[in-house]
Amino acid sequence: MRLVLANRPRVCRTIGALTLLLLSSTALAHHSFAMFDSVNKATITGTVTRFEWTNPHVFIEIDVAGENGAVKHWSVELGSPSILLRGGWKFSDVKPGDKVTTIVNPLRDGRPGGMLYRITLADGRMLGNGGPPPPDPATR
Amino acid sequence: MVRASIIISLGSLIVATTVVARAQTAPIPDPRNLSGAWEPMRVGRGTDPRLAPPPAGPILPKPPYADAWKARRAAQEEATRKGEPLATGGSQCIPYGMPTMMSIATYPMEILQTPGQVTIIGEAFTEVRRVYLDRPQMKIEEVPPGYYGRSVGRWEADTLVIDTIGIATNVNGYQGLPHSNQLRITERIRLMAADVLHDQITLDDPVVLEKPVTYTLAYRRLPKYEMVEFVCDNNREYVDDKGVVRMKLPEK
Repeated sequence: MRLVLANRPRVCRTIGALTLLLLSSTALAHHSFAMFDSVNKATITGTVTRFEWTNPHVFIEIDVAGENGAVKHWSVELGSPSILLRGGWKFSDVKPGDKVTTIVNPLRDGRPGGMLYRITLADGRMLGNGGPPPPDPATR
Repeated sequence: MVRASIIISLGSLIVATTVVARAQTAPIPDPRNLSGAWEPMRVGRGTDPRLAPPPAGPILPKPPYADAWKARRAAQEEATRKGEPLATGGSQCIPYGMPTMMSIATYPMEILQTPGQVTIIGEAFTEVRRVYLDRPQMKIEEVPPGYYGRSVGRWEADTLVIDTIGIATNVNGYQGLPHSNQLRITERIRLMAADVLHDQITLDDPVVLEKPVTYTLAYRRLPKYEMVEFVCDNNREYVDDKGVVRMKLPEK
């Protein structure tokens, strides 16, 4: 996992804020975005163990390989199927065993969960969380 | 070369502007045909002012309700700032009901018109309301309180006017506003262009409000859209003992 901190040019910050605004107003009819860190992002690369195309949210469960064979498990929350379908997703885009990279806004309480910002699928395609795939978060 | 590009670009802009202007001022083929799928319209800079909804009117609750409403909003804002959002009915998969179901984020709604009835289906939580046309309204005391109440409608020229009563007091109100069992919702639904619909909503509650609140929702048509199923059967958000919404992680 890699934490990306928000020390970036103003333009990038504005794009990030707009994306977040879009995300929070579109993906989350069901609950507030406030439980997630709206500033920092984490990059989670691993193997999908489960993909739940469900309401009120879609979830991707990911095993991330750590040092000495340790595995850390992450739960990534997405918008609903309706929101994702209109953003170009299909229910068959992710399967158990796929190697994916997700960028998430992690839970503020430090547990291994987050809200999807952008995913790179096993076939290299990028998808956002409802809208078009957002730009790279700038790194420090 | 550059000059040619500028001319082509300007030409394209003029054509595009003309097409947009023509589309927005084109006659509406059947002003009483509201059937189809609609999504909340994004309104902002560049929106044709003829199609943008007017600003919402002020919300003026009577003093005892105003204090509780403001305190609740302040508590929610503070909790959100701390990253500990307070639970809402929606976060527990409880449907929104009227009038909130008419505008849930970007979720579409579908309007079906059959003889004597208009049916409105909100995609989020699959909420359904039935509007009976040209029938008398009942007395409020006769309607069992619920999420959608009882709705009757009539056409006034090309405006569908809907009267709704019987909204249970536990149903979350507009902007979190409380309401009494005397709430009456009046909607005036009208096509503003072939593909743009407005719903002007007035909430009249003589117990809670100093004066009725009016706001207008705008929608854009989604041609050929197929409504998506929404059964809330995998809710991982739970409420802890402080009333805060948290995300449940799978046990491993």
